[in-house]
Amino acid sequence: MSSVAQNRVSGRRRRSPLPYTWQRGYLLAAPAFIVMLAIFVYPLGYSFLMSFFRWDLSGSAPFIGTGNYTDELSGRQFNQALRNQIVFSVVSITVEVVAGMAIAVLVNGKLRGMRLARTLLLVPPMIAPAVVGLNFRWLFNTQYGLVDALLRMFNLPNIPWLNDPTWALVSVIIADVWQNTPLMVLLFLAGLQSLPQEPLEAATVDGAGPWQRFWHIVLPLMRPVIMIALMLRIIDTFRTFDVVWLMTQGGPGGATNLLTVYAYLLAFQAVDFGHAAAVSYIALGMSLFVLGLLYGVPWLLAKRRAI
Amino acid sequence: MSGNVSRRKFLAASAAVTAGSLAAPWVARAQANEITALLITGGPLYPKYWEKVVQDFTAKTGIKVRYDLLEFTPLTSKVVTLSAARSSQYDVYSTHTAQIDSYFNHFAPLNSYFSESELADFYPVAVKYLRDPKTGNLAAIPRNMDARVQYYRSDIYQEKGLKPAETWEELVDVGLKLTGNGHYGLVVPGQGDPAQRTFSDLLWQAGGDWVDQANKPAFNSEAGIKALTFYRDLIQKHKIVPPDAVGYQWNENSTEFSSGTVYANFDWPGAFATLSNPETSRVVGKWSTAPYVRDKAAISCAISHAMALNGQSGRKDPAVEFIRYTVGPEAQRLQFDQFTNFPSSQAIAKEVIAAAKGPQATWLQQLETTIANGKEWPKLAGFSKVCTLMFSAIEQALTDQLSPSDSLNQAAAEAEDTMRRAGAYD
Repeated sequence: MSSVAQNRVSGRRRRSPLPYTWQRGYLLAAPAFIVMLAIFVYPLGYSFLMSFFRWDLSGSAPFIGTGNYTDELSGRQFNQALRNQIVFSVVSITVEVVAGMAIAVLVNGKLRGMRLARTLLLVPPMIAPAVVGLNFRWLFNTQYGLVDALLRMFNLPNIPWLNDPTWALVSVIIADVWQNTPLMVLLFLAGLQSLPQEPLEAATVDGAGPWQRFWHIVLPLMRPVIMIALMLRIIDTFRTFDVVWLMTQGGPGGATNLLTVYAYLLAFQAVDFGHAAAVSYIALGMSLFVLGLLYGVPWLLAKRRAI
Repeated sequence: MSGNVSRRKFLAASAAVTAGSLAAPWVARAQANEITALLITGGPLYPKYWEKVVQDFTAKTGIKVRYDLLEFTPLTSKVVTLSAARSSQYDVYSTHTAQIDSYFNHFAPLNSYFSESELADFYPVAVKYLRDPKTGNLAAIPRNMDARVQYYRSDIYQEKGLKPAETWEELVDVGLKLTGNGHYGLVVPGQGDPAQRTFSDLLWQAGGDWVDQANKPAFNSEAGIKALTFYRDLIQKHKIVPPDAVGYQWNENSTEFSSGTVYANFDWPGAFATLSNPETSRVVGKWSTAPYVRDKAAISCAISHAMALNGQSGRKDPAVEFIRYTVGPEAQRLQFDQFTNFPSSQAIAKEVIAAAKGPQATWLQQLETTIANGKEWPKLAGFSKVCTLMFSAIEQALTDQLSPSDSLNQAAAEAEDTMRRAGAYD
């Protein structure tokens, strides 16, 4: 029924001040838009504004331009957190993507027990990161932990998992890999199962081995899925907080301080919201830059090839 | 139904309901005889304690108190957030000496509500470090004292013919004799604020202090380096402390002793009740207390849990009435009976010490001595941020990433810069 016809049918609707136009669409969407503004855009904009002020509960909050940013970029603790963040993100994403692809290829095969394996893969991503952090904290305890107990059983030396700066970073990466690799597997598995079979069959007929089929056909076809997986993990690693906080609180001596943990310490321990906001926006900028590279470089290369 | 209610009426009713629900909290809070409080909790007894305090207060004054309970760390985070937002959601906050300098501009001064003669009854060390050193304003009023003494396994010490350590040297000697077969002679925390507290005690004991007379960082003095070297050596050289202690905070520190793995520690007043309870301790009846160890001096921290008035509160008078009640004689006696929390009032402390018998009396006297000699780190602008620097510096020395002198020198340079920018020298 057209709007004109509807207006004829209903006298009340004819009195409506709102005609059936695109404006009404906006008006109907307005409540949701206002809620989004209030709970998402406003805090985001406000915290961005905070990053340009000395905002530390001292009463006055003078505008200091980019002072918080330059302080942090030249500061020792920020640079340590940045270094840790880069190592954490690069190593954990690399391991998760490579191991995720390997396991996905394995469970995609028609071997016995694969259905059970696929079900079990759902478990780690379903566990709250806080629980994962607490569990790994105890697993890696040198006195009471299961891991060192097993090492002692085989007459191997204890590893100071959370007590040594290098091992502490390795430990939080292991916890992250344990929780997030299954997610990669599930993504890759979905990708593998939706691949067209014709190119693979043709390659088999042409005598290509499994490795050649994987490298020259499966991997290029899986590229969009891999890109999505990388994007999700890059965003996630720059937001990682719970696991690290519960395992090490960024210690020992800042050895596992990631940008989020450092921003939290600045805000809630040092009560310095200006610097905390600046660190958060540097982290956001970095993840956007990396994502830009991830999508921009292939696009530019493709464009150049087309020319 | 749609035939009976016009759209205009429906929209008007919806708008009224929305406006009513938005205004309801303000209307409810506008009741003159009701205040709101954000209070500290911890353990199963605390909620019952607050309920009793609030009920008694309401019965006496007619003022109702709506309150929320949070444990120390989330409570601190929430107070920080609410202060940053200049919120008037709560009229009264539980707070603590540790971060009080951050709130000097957000908690209403209590000087005008408490006379100097009333304040004279509280332990001077508690009142001193709750004041803004610049203005003299009292940011909070102490509710109970926090100080530490030595807890040791009297059964094991007797069996091995040992006495509790009195000096640093004895602490190492005794620890070495007790360490072995999966047990350790001592445990100290090695992470975050608890590590800074431990270093702070050792710094004062070695004859040093956090800042000099010009308020410039002085913790990297010879005394500071000696203190941090001793602290590190307990873990890394003498190995009388569990290696995992570099990641321990207070809970792990207490649990190592209450589980029977470690034979001595330095713990807060709450440990007395925890260690006496079979549900929370495997060493009931097997421990005793002794004074904190000393080096050149016998000094350790004496801080306090406190009550503060939100500067944004619209009901300051009834809120202060509640604060006054929570630090008054009845509430202080009740919290000692329930959790053995040491009173902040000297009169009540004398009363409970006089009434105590046996090991509890000895312990209370030891605590009182610690409090009488106690100190706290300075409440200068920017010192909260210096604390985060110190967490990292101490942890780096404890885990052998840097030498004690390098880590302290680096932290001192950064601390001076941080305090200068925060206006500590203006």
